[in-house]
Amino acid sequence: MVAELMAMVRSLWRGVVRTRQVDADLKEEFRLHIELRSADLVRAGMTPAEAARKARAEFGNTEHHVEKARNARGLWWFDEMRFSWLDLKLGGRMLVKYPVLTIVGGFSMAFAIWIGAGTFEGIRQLVFPTIPLPDADRIVMLQNWDASANRPEPRATHDFVAWRRSVQTVQDLSAFRTVTRNLLITDGLAEPVFTAEMSAAAFRVLRVPPLLGRTLVESDEQANAPLVAVIGYDLWQTRFKGDSSVVGRTVRLTGVPSTIVGVMPARFAFPRTQEFWVPLRIDGSGAEPRQGVAIQIFGRLAPGASLEEARKELTYLGRRAAVDFPHTHQHLRPQLFTFAESVRALNGPDDSMMLLTGNIYVMLLLVLVCANVGLLMFARATTRETEIAVRSALGASRRRIVMQMFAEALVLGGVAAVVGLTAAGWGVRWALDLMREVLTEGNGHFPFWVDGELSPLTFVYTALLTLLAAAIAGILPGLKITRNLGNRLKSTTPGAGGTQFGGMWTALIVVQLAVTMGFPVVTFFVRKDTTSLETHPLPFPVDQYLSVRLDMERVPTEAGADTSAAAFQGRYAAAVQKLESRLESELGVTGVVFGQHLPRQYHPNNQVEVDEGAVTPQDERGHLVGSSEVDPKYLDVLGVSMLSGRWFNSSEANPDARVAVVNKAFVDRVMGGRNPIGRRLRYVRNSDPEKEPWLEIIGIAPDVGIRSGWGPAGIYRPLVRASMYPLNAAIHVQGDPKVFAPRLRAIATDVDVTLQLTDLMPLKDVENGEASFHAFWVKMTTFVSAMILLFSLVSIYAVMSFAVSRRTREIGVRVALGGTPWRIVTAVFAHPLRQLGMGLLAGTLLVWVLQGGTDNGWPTATEVLTLGAYTTLMTVVFLIACVVPTRRALAVQPTEALRDY
Amino acid sequence: MSTAELLPGTLDVLILKAVSLGKLHGYAVLLRIEQISGGALLVQQGALYQALARLEHRGLLDSEWGTSENNRKAKYYRLTAAGRRTLGVEAASWKRLSDAIGLALSAKPEEA
Repeated sequence: MVAELMAMVRSLWRGVVRTRQVDADLKEEFRLHIELRSADLVRAGMTPAEAARKARAEFGNTEHHVEKARNARGLWWFDEMRFSWLDLKLGGRMLVKYPVLTIVGGFSMAFAIWIGAGTFEGIRQLVFPTIPLPDADRIVMLQNWDASANRPEPRATHDFVAWRRSVQTVQDLSAFRTVTRNLLITDGLAEPVFTAEMSAAAFRVLRVPPLLGRTLVESDEQANAPLVAVIGYDLWQTRFKGDSSVVGRTVRLTGVPSTIVGVMPARFAFPRTQEFWVPLRIDGSGAEPRQGVAIQIFGRLAPGASLEEARKELTYLGRRAAVDFPHTHQHLRPQLFTFAESVRALNGPDDSMMLLTGNIYVMLLLVLVCANVGLLMFARATTRETEIAVRSALGASRRRIVMQMFAEALVLGGVAAVVGLTAAGWGVRWALDLMREVLTEGNGHFPFWVDGELSPLTFVYTALLTLLAAAIAGILPGLKITRNLGNRLKSTTPGAGGTQFGGMWTALIVVQLAVTMGFPVVTFFVRKDTTSLETHPLPFPVDQYLSVRLDMERVPTEAGADTSAAAFQGRYAAAVQKLESRLESELGVTGVVFGQHLPRQYHPNNQVEVDEGAVTPQDERGHLVGSSEVDPKYLDVLGVSMLSGRWFNSSEANPDARVAVVNKAFVDRVMGGRNPIGRRLRYVRNSDPEKEPWLEIIGIAPDVGIRSGWGPAGIYRPLVRASMYPLNAAIHVQGDPKVFAPRLRAIATDVDVTLQLTDLMPLKDVENGEASFHAFWVKMTTFVSAMILLFSLVSIYAVMSFAVSRRTREIGVRVALGGTPWRIVTAVFAHPLRQLGMGLLAGTLLVWVLQGGTDNGWPTATEVLTLGAYTTLMTVVFLIACVVPTRRALAVQPTEALRDY
Repeated sequence: MSTAELLPGTLDVLILKAVSLGKLHGYAVLLRIEQISGGALLVQQGALYQALARLEHRGLLDSEWGTSENNRKAKYYRLTAAGRRTLGVEAASWKRLSDAIGLALSAKPEEA
């Protein structure tokens, strides 16, 4: 039994892989057979020529016998499914023969593959990041999970010391904490630098040698050792101009001198975007359980140790700690996972659902686009009915013809995949650049594992997408065109009718037209949103202001200083006060003001309610408006005046003040234009709204750049500096604000070395990151809309052309019988026009939903009129695609159409 | 003696029988069948190779290249162990069938 099975597999394998050899062997057998038979016939008295002729005649068609023998080996299925180089060559020829279909179809498929591959790569980088470190899958993170509080416990100095002593399955156990420090070189300007205080052993875990000098060593961790630092490549290039003698130079890190001992190579930014590493100095002897600073622990799996073994060991140590330190460790559960798992941007089930939904949308788009190409190929195939009929009559099976069409689609898909992948590579880099503001976590760098390169996995995914696309665009129309081919051929010739678009194609056309109508609406709303961001005019000279966020290092530089939160807030408020005084006395500065948020910055939404006079909220969540706490001199420094009522005075800058100022947009949207002064408003929080105090509206300010997810409406409250962190400052300067930036850094360093200036930029550039992100979406949605419109027009054209070519003879008869052009057009295009009508109806409904969904209510009369106008416009656009087929239909001559009848 | 068309399904067993008497190339198989059937059975020449391919695919025949009597390259077929088993089973089955048919056809009216 086994021997027979093996023989069968061997035979199949030979037949599939060595087809030519198997066929040649058979023909060799046939030759011998005919020769021996001829010889016998000669011996029987025939002449050699007669004998040879008779032997060949008796034997029959050798090609036919070869095919039968292959079938006997069970190879017919492979033969039917396989397409040869010739098929692909024929496919290529068809593409050249029908250039319009090639261009439109190839472009469509490239577009779908571009979107698919780009999305896949984006998701891969978020969900399955590839860590560019040697043997990165063996780098593991360790942490304590507080089961009672359901969050990690980062104060793990005590456990770190204990694990370092006892853990066997993880070696070179290290820890780090990330901080932002002011780095002062010799130029006197302190700039924040993303720093990691890290164990020296970490560099053995990471296995990346320094580019210059050395990495940290254990002796650097000693409390009395001189302070040293290792710097990143980019920092070396930007702040030290790539100086090759940088090793040995002394810099000041938050005022403390440190000596640079090494430079790391490019793209090394462990643990995320850090570019400065100093020794982590932990006093292990005095570490109390669940005390000290927050650290993160990591190491490398010992040779031969598995993740599972390491987890078991850690669990055991966790249980022992729970016994030894019940008060602190009873609910702590040690956890261990790979570094790649720890940096995944998306982990939870909700994220998985989001990814799944995103992928489904992309796949739907792909299916829609490829089905559209399939529609075109089907329409073209109907013009090749004769060729297909001849092939069928010559013995080509249905499967063979379908595979030929698949081969054609595959050639098209292959070309499209190359174009799509190239565009995807470019698109990913473009998207990353646009999302730099969002992804780079503040210092302009992506996490070190993010890159703009397409992974091999994406190439494999693209190959699968191409196969899928070719299957949809080739096999579906192939199956349709070859259905009942025999029956149809008995009674039809091209132009006489026969093949028809079925329900599936009709559904596709309707969906496509509906989506085509929906996309420009989405684009319109995205664009409208962006326009409001970009063009909202501000009533003050925004280009004369410098904007900066003021952060401060939490740990004071003085030894033994108070590290409590209250002390920190006090130090911060004092530093801000001092900075303000210095700036106000600075030549060239005409004003400085602080606030929770500045003009053009994003203002978080708050739900508010007004005691009376407000309009009914359009959203069930009530009135959502932006809000900000600002200095009493806010409007003075911006140089704008109140529209009505009054602004805050200095005495109201305290937590008990129950006053608020609203802006003009608030009056328009929330109050419906009614005067709000004297009314009261309060925040509506999730907790008991009754606990929120009422605030009296004392004035109306002009719109000075509140930006929130719900438009420019907003409220201002007096800033209480003693309890607000961090603060933003707007500094009004004479001349170019950029020129003043270095001076501001110098002043800030002088005021307090722990004061960090972040996002220092001219106020006019503040929203650029977000604006460019919106611009990206506008471009994307516009491009997708244009593509889908193009596909739809081509579909309509294909359907109409198909109708004309299928019913040429009928048109001829109608013309011969004196049919008017109108009657001919309505008769011939009845079916496609019905499809168009259904598509328009579905599209109008979709737009209705989109419009209503956006404005949270039923469309008004104006909106209905707009909708009607839009539908009319789209109808006209769609009808443009009908012009050429209609002209062709009307140009049909009865003598030509009926010639072959 | 007149020749007869083969019954469907009989060619395979005839080939197995022919090859069981010694390894043969395709044309020799044809001659051997004619010889052992006393020239009574006529095999379609093309169909022979289809059957040989089928039997080889099923592992009942094995093949090797050799030299023919006219000094040409020839593919020789021989029976495998599985082929010998199948031949035994098929031959017994045919014998039972032909005996039964023979019996049926030789029945006299008084035996009815």
